[in-house]
Amino acid sequence: MASLPRRIIKETQRLLQEPVPGISAVPDENNARYFHVIVTGPEGSPFEGGLFKLELFLPEDYPMSAPKVRFITKIYHPNIDRLGRICLDILKDKWSPALQIRTVLLSIQALLSAPNPDDPLANDVAELWRVNEAEAIRNAKEWTRKYAMED
Amino acid sequence: MSSEECDSDMEYSDNDCCYADYYNTGNDCDIDQIDPSKIDPEFFIFECLSVEEVERLLNENVELLSSSLQITPSLAKVLLHTHGWAVQDLISKYRSDASLLLVQSRIKPPHPPSNSDGSSSHSSQSSLSSKDSLEEDENQKPCPVCVMLCNVEIFSSLACGHKFCKDCWTMHFEVQIIQGISTGMSCMAQQCDILAPEDFVLTLLNKPNLRDKYQQFVFHDYVKSHPQLRFCPGPNCQVLIHAKEPRAKRAVCTNCKTSFCFKCGMNYHAPTDCSTIKKWLTKCADDSETANYISAHTKDCPRCHICIEKNGGCNHMQCYSCKHEFCWMCLGDWKAHGSEYYECSRYKENPNIAHESVHAQAREALKKYLHYYERWENHSKSLKLEEQTLLTIKTRINQKVMNASGTWIDWQYLLDAAMLLAKCRYSLQYTYPYAYYMEPSSRKELFEYQQAQLEAEIENLSWKVERAETTDRGDLENQMDIAEKRRTTLLKDFLEV
Ligand SMILES: [Zn+2]
Ligand SMILES: [Zn+2]
Ligand SMILES: [Zn+2]
Repeated sequence: MASLPRRIIKETQRLLQEPVPGISAVPDENNARYFHVIVTGPEGSPFEGGLFKLELFLPEDYPMSAPKVRFITKIYHPNIDRLGRICLDILKDKWSPALQIRTVLLSIQALLSAPNPDDPLANDVAELWRVNEAEAIRNAKEWTRKYAMED
Repeated sequence: MSSEECDSDMEYSDNDCCYADYYNTGNDCDIDQIDPSKIDPEFFIFECLSVEEVERLLNENVELLSSSLQITPSLAKVLLHTHGWAVQDLISKYRSDASLLLVQSRIKPPHPPSNSDGSSSHSSQSSLSSKDSLEEDENQKPCPVCVMLCNVEIFSSLACGHKFCKDCWTMHFEVQIIQGISTGMSCMAQQCDILAPEDFVLTLLNKPNLRDKYQQFVFHDYVKSHPQLRFCPGPNCQVLIHAKEPRAKRAVCTNCKTSFCFKCGMNYHAPTDCSTIKKWLTKCADDSETANYISAHTKDCPRCHICIEKNGGCNHMQCYSCKHEFCWMCLGDWKAHGSEYYECSRYKENPNIAHESVHAQAREALKKYLHYYERWENHSKSLKLEEQTLLTIKTRINQKVMNASGTWIDWQYLLDAAMLLAKCRYSLQYTYPYAYYMEPSSRKELFEYQQAQLEAEIENLSWKVERAETTDRGDLENQMDIAEKRRTTLLKDFLEV
C-alpha cells in the first residue's frame, strides 16, 4: 500500500487530539483510510440518546473525491436509506477538496438535527415526514430506542 | 401573380396556381419574392457540418467576442458557453455592466478576493495547516488541500484568489475529467464556484489522454449549449447539424440519412409539437401492456368472415375470397370511405361523459386512447410493410430494365410514388397524437376533417402503388399530387413552429 498522504495523517491527528463534540472517529488498526465513527444523537432530536455507528472510507483520490460514508446502525431518517446511504450534497456534487472528514461528520450531525424531507433518499420515510411529522418522529424515536441504544 | 394571393392560405389549397409555380421553377413568375416557408410548411434551412467545420464556426465566435471585449479567448469561451453563444447579446451586456456579467458567468467572485488560501480561514476547524507555521520560511507555505509545504511559486489561483499547489489542481482536474466533467470544473475552495477556464486547465493538465478527453468533453458541452447546433442522433455518426433558425422541423443527416426534429432531437413529428409528442410517447410506453392486444395481424372479413392476413401497408382491404372491399381499421365498407366525410379516423366522444360514473369515465378514457393508439400503431406498421413494397418495386424495376423493357428513368416514377407514400403516411401517423390531445372544438373538427381527407387519399395512393404496374402512370401521378397536397394543406393549417 502506498504511503499515507500527509493530508490524511494531519486530519487523523487533529481528529484524535481535538475531537468534535458528540463524534468519535477512530482509524482502523489495519487500514488508515478506514474510520470507525460514532455519532451521538443530537439533543432535542428524535435521535437523542442514541449512539449511531458509521463507517467512513477515504478513497484513493481523496481529497479530490469525497469520503464514502454510511450508517451501520439502522436509523429512521428521510435522508438516509435502508442501506445506511446518506443523501448529503457535500458527499456528492458539492464536495470540495478543501472540505475535511471533520466537516463531513459535522454535516451529518446537523442532518440528524434537521431532517430534510424535501430532498429525500428514503421515499416512504420522507413521505410520512411530510404528511404526518408527529408519527414520523415517533417512528424515529422508536428506532433509536430499538437499534441505537445499548442493550 | 402577386405573392399576396399566396398568403390567403384557405383558398390556396383549392387554387393550384401557386402550387404549380412552386414546382415549375422554370416559370417566369416572381418566385424569389415568395417566402418558401409560406408555400412549404416544412421548409427548413440547415447544413451538415464536420467536427472541424463546427470548431471553426465556434472559434469565429470566440475570436469575435475576445477581440470586441479585449478578453482572452479562454474567458470568451466561458462567457459564450454560459450564454448560449449569443455574441451580440454578450457584447451589449458587457458594455452595460462588465462586472455583473463576469460575476453571473462565474468568472469573477461576487466579492473581491481577500489574501486567503483555499480553506475558509475564518472557521477554526479547518486550519489544518496553521500548526506548520514554525516550519515555514519566506518562500514556503502549506497547500490547504494536500497540507504539503510548497514553494509559493507553484501555487496558482483563479480570479477568486483561492491558492492551491500545482499538483493538487492537476489531480483535481484529472478526477473531474474522468467523471466526464469539463466546462463545469471549478475552484477547489469550499463554496467557491468560480469556473476554471480552458487555458488554466490546459496549463495544469499533463497526461495526453486526459488532455484529449478534456477537449472532447468541452467540445461536446459547447455544442450542447449552442442553440443552432445538434449532434446527428444517428448511431456512430460524427456529423453536426447547423440551423440558423432552430425550429421543430425536419433535419436530415447527409451522411447517415437519419432524419429528426431539430428542436428536440426525436423522430420528426409534424404536425404534433415537441412537448406533445414526448407526452404521447411516454403514455404509449406506459400503456404498452393495455395496447398489446391490438398487435394482431389478422382480422376476419366483415362479410364472409374468412380470416384475412394483412401483408401490405394499404388499409383498403379486399377479401381474397368474397372480394368484399373494406377498411382494415374500422372494418367498414370501403365505398363509404370514399371522398365523403371519412368517419374512420375520428373519435366520437360521448357528449354526456361528465355525468357518467368514474368507472365509465375511465373506460371511456381508455377507449379514446386506444382509438388513437390503434391508428398510430397501424400507420407505423403500414409504413414498415410499405418499405417492403418499395424493395419489391426496386427489384421489379431492376428486372424490367435488365429485360430491356424501359430504362431506369422510365420507371423512376414508381419509386417516387412509393417514397411519397411513405412521407405522407409518416405525417398521417403523427396526426394522431395531435388529435388525441386536442380539446373538442371547431378547430379539432377542421383538423379531423383534413386528417380524414389525407387518410383517404393516402389509402388510395397505397392501393395504386401496390398495383403500380397495372395502374396508369398518369393516374398514379395524379394521386401522388392529390395526397401531397392534402398533406401540405394540413401542415400549413396546423403545424405551429
Ligand atoms: Zn475559489
Ligand atoms: Zn496541494
Ligand atoms: Zn421536436
